[in-house]
Amino acid sequence: MADPAVDDVLIVASLLFVAAAATAAVLNRDPARQAVVLSLLGLGLAVLFTVLQAPDVGLSQLGVGSALTPLMILLTVRKVRRQRERRDGERHGGKRRG
Amino acid sequence: MNGWLAAAALLLIAGVGPSLWNAARGAPGRRVVAQNYATLLLCLVFLLLAQGYGRPAYVDLALVLSVLGPAGTLVFARLLLTGEEAGEGGEPPGTRRLTPVVAVGTAATVLPLCVVTGPGRATVKLLVIGALLLAGGVATTRAVRHG
Repeated sequence: MADPAVDDVLIVASLLFVAAAATAAVLNRDPARQAVVLSLLGLGLAVLFTVLQAPDVGLSQLGVGSALTPLMILLTVRKVRRQRERRDGERHGGKRRG
Repeated sequence: MNGWLAAAALLLIAGVGPSLWNAARGAPGRRVVAQNYATLLLCLVFLLLAQGYGRPAYVDLALVLSVLGPAGTLVFARLLLTGEEAGEGGEPPGTRRLTPVVAVGTAATVLPLCVVTGPGRATVKLLVIGALLLAGGVATTRAVRHG
């Protein structure tokens, strides 16, 4: 079976990757850019689960973290941005009329 | 000494770490390209882990990622690069190297695994994953270039 030393290296590397990705996700302030880092955090968690011999958890984390969460965040950001633009447009239009 | 696990650890440290560094800073285009690199390299890491642990079932992770990774990159390319930040001029750094890196990395990982696995359904699965990765690499390169 697996060599313990290499196994430890894998576990430590994926743990450090998860910690770094989570920190980077916090330090980025723009939600759209945050989504990219967040997807990498999901991938890192999937590797961590796999290295800890829980590939079933990793599989679901892969599906949720790498594609679904960023998609929802980006769609939300887009919708909020459009609503704000429309509201601003209405306000300017009203001023011009009045 | 388990060479497969050592290769996976090397790929994780030397490949995915720098992609995180690039994905966390800079222009959106650079981030999307880095995310694409990360999904590709992690797919190869999963393949190597499956062989290293001697558990063929772990290959399913690589199969799922080879479908979802390019899909995620296409989502980013569609929603992030066409927003108001778009039009910073030129293609993001690393775009030109993307398809060659995908081709070389996939070939260098999948072909030895096929040789070790021997003929059978598992080899077909590996080849399908390789083909999906190549197709995803070409599609995402085109999407990042042309928006």
